[in-house]
Amino acid sequence: MGNRFEGGRLAPKVGRLAFVVVATVGLGLVPFAALGQDYRAPRTADGNPDLNGIWQAVGASHWDIEGHAARMGPLPEMGALGAIPGGLGIVVGGEIPYQEAAAEKRQENLENWLKLDPAVKCYMPGIPRANYMPFPFQIVQTPEYILIAYEFASASRIIYMNRPDFESPFDTWMGHSRGHWEGETLVVDVTSQVPDTWFDSSGNFHTDAIHVVERYTALGPNHLQYEATIEDPNVFTEPWQVRLPLYRRIDENMQLLEYKCVEFAEELMYGHLRKGAGEEKSDD
Amino acid sequence: MRSRLQGLSRAAAVALVACLAASAPVGAEGAARTTWGDPDLRGIWDFRTITPLERPSSLAGKEFLSDEEAAVFEEQTLERLDFDRRDGGSRFDVERAYNNFWWDWGDKLTDDKRTSLIVDPPDGRIPAMVPEAKDADRARRRSGGGPVRERVLIGSKAHGPEDLGLSERCLLGFNSGPPMLPSAYNNNLQLFQSPGYVVLLNEMIHAARVIPLDGRSHLDGRIRQWMGDSRGRWEGDTLVVDSTNFTDKTPSFSGVIGAMGSGETLHLIERFTRVSADTLLYEFTIDDPHTFTASWTAAIPMKKTDGPLFEYACHEGNYGMANLLSGARAQEEAAAQSKKP
Amino acid sequence: MKKRTIVVGLCLALASGGVPLLAHHAFSAEFDANRPIHLKGRVTKMEWINPHAWIHLAVVAEDGTEVVWMIEGGTPNTLMRRGFTKDSLAPGTQIIVDGYQAKDGSHKGNGRDLTFPDGRKLFLGSSGTGAPTDGSDPTEPPRN
Repeated sequence: MGNRFEGGRLAPKVGRLAFVVVATVGLGLVPFAALGQDYRAPRTADGNPDLNGIWQAVGASHWDIEGHAARMGPLPEMGALGAIPGGLGIVVGGEIPYQEAAAEKRQENLENWLKLDPAVKCYMPGIPRANYMPFPFQIVQTPEYILIAYEFASASRIIYMNRPDFESPFDTWMGHSRGHWEGETLVVDVTSQVPDTWFDSSGNFHTDAIHVVERYTALGPNHLQYEATIEDPNVFTEPWQVRLPLYRRIDENMQLLEYKCVEFAEELMYGHLRKGAGEEKSDD
Repeated sequence: MRSRLQGLSRAAAVALVACLAASAPVGAEGAARTTWGDPDLRGIWDFRTITPLERPSSLAGKEFLSDEEAAVFEEQTLERLDFDRRDGGSRFDVERAYNNFWWDWGDKLTDDKRTSLIVDPPDGRIPAMVPEAKDADRARRRSGGGPVRERVLIGSKAHGPEDLGLSERCLLGFNSGPPMLPSAYNNNLQLFQSPGYVVLLNEMIHAARVIPLDGRSHLDGRIRQWMGDSRGRWEGDTLVVDSTNFTDKTPSFSGVIGAMGSGETLHLIERFTRVSADTLLYEFTIDDPHTFTASWTAAIPMKKTDGPLFEYACHEGNYGMANLLSGARAQEEAAAQSKKP
Repeated sequence: MKKRTIVVGLCLALASGGVPLLAHHAFSAEFDANRPIHLKGRVTKMEWINPHAWIHLAVVAEDGTEVVWMIEGGTPNTLMRRGFTKDSLAPGTQIIVDGYQAKDGSHKGNGRDLTFPDGRKLFLGSSGTGAPTDGSDPTEPPRN
């Protein structure tokens, strides 16, 4: 290490200090949240932090929210472009606290993920997964509602602001979201999610008892911190969190495009019922 | 650019605006505004109506119904729409599927008691198609080759999912277009505004149309989308939404059944005007000289409602697709068996 | 051909008013007009999903075995707007279904008529299923 910073008597010392600082932050020993603690976002016309814009997560958390090395993908034909990249993980503390039986189910899910992952079929991803799919989403803020439009599967959700008593009569794929502001942070309580969504493509799952509390905080003009606390007494031994940055998509004339993936999943889902498919017709 | 009232008969134009404005007058301060000064169109809007898109031929020449005539028309329509009826034998009965409590067509004509949603041309009917476009549609239907552009395709051969209608595949809603048209249920739109953007969120099928107002151009012509690409601007107090870049996989226009032309040549103009506190006037113009011999316009007053919108996760629950395909395979099998000696 | 007759019939009905009768897929493509069903059973599950809700109904067959049928309804959204919730049809409720069986012969049918054993229509009025308690039928249009 010393050699890299050779070049002057001062350089090695500065170099080592720089290394220590970078390593400290990079290893998460200083939470990235601390970087933005003093940032005050511009305000919307009604006086709330302005989170309007198009945002996207980066990295491999949609594959596997726990830290993992790169691994083989499901389709050998895709070679290097179809394998699963490594990820530092977005689970605070590293590991999801599964109950024992649930951990076994997660393992079964993982081993059969291609068949079982609902996102493969273009089913809406639910919360929090929708926020770290590798697709942009757009936040449009009004005083009464915050709309989030997701490119993936044309999913959308409405966050009902300041209506803590408003319940949903049924369970939905994108959940029922009630929001309020705590200083710089948008806090969203998400209930009534169907049990059919996963947290990623590695079999991490929940039941209909899932309850998620999200926190969105601007770290700077082009970065948000996203945290979600998840509890499900049927699956986990205690509540746990995911935390990741969201990056503003600053491309010129940025807009969401369509990703109506139903078209891409039909053959997979219904091909066996196609005329001439030659398989047994399904019963029930 | 045609003014939105040009082409309406004078009587219709006067009646339309006066009637709608009278339903719940805007306050003395004038039209509601957002805090940054744009007209406020926000809210949840209900576009149920039993007014037909096209003027029935039995009412040719009659733009408006009197109050008595309207009451009779409403009653007759509701009888026709009564899915609890038992006439017609099992072939009609199976089409009435499930009972009346699942349906929500609405039970009223528009406030001005017009006999069609189409306001231009004055006869209240869709203009004739360009002959080449009509021939192309006929050839597409006869050959059974794709693409299927209908929302619901009656009598589909159902060899595979792509043979079914776009709503049966859960790609597009059957009342959300674009353009929007009232239909069997869930005729709800939620409109959001923040500086520089308007968002149209139809309940069916949960896709949000995010419309920038900053004057940027449309997408590159090579990018074609199911719901096209929309750009918005203000003309006075009217939001004008201009949409192009539709894919050839969609029609230029369709109701629930039937489909006309190709979306590739469609230029859709939609207008939103808050004519009163509780009414959002929605107008759409189909501008497609490749498909229609004239452009044409319909107007649908939408009523403010408390809502809320409910999620319509269509594809996630689409047992119907599998049932339609397996039913078709079973019929083919039965037909093959009956042919055996 | 049967399909064409249906199309012609519907077109005649449409011609008089221009309001389409069909909301979405042609039901005759999924269910068989020649296979009417009359089922009496116990609700085991209610799927409040789109595009169609599905009632799972356990029916005891003649030989005493239990078969679970899936009965198709409409969009739950319209019922939610009338005050129903996901708990509105409790498992264990006895109901009667008249409808038509699926074309592929599976234990599915469309719920043409859904009633309680005493003849009252399902999903209407106060009925002890958690439905709105005003007792009025919100779906019947006013008649003379």
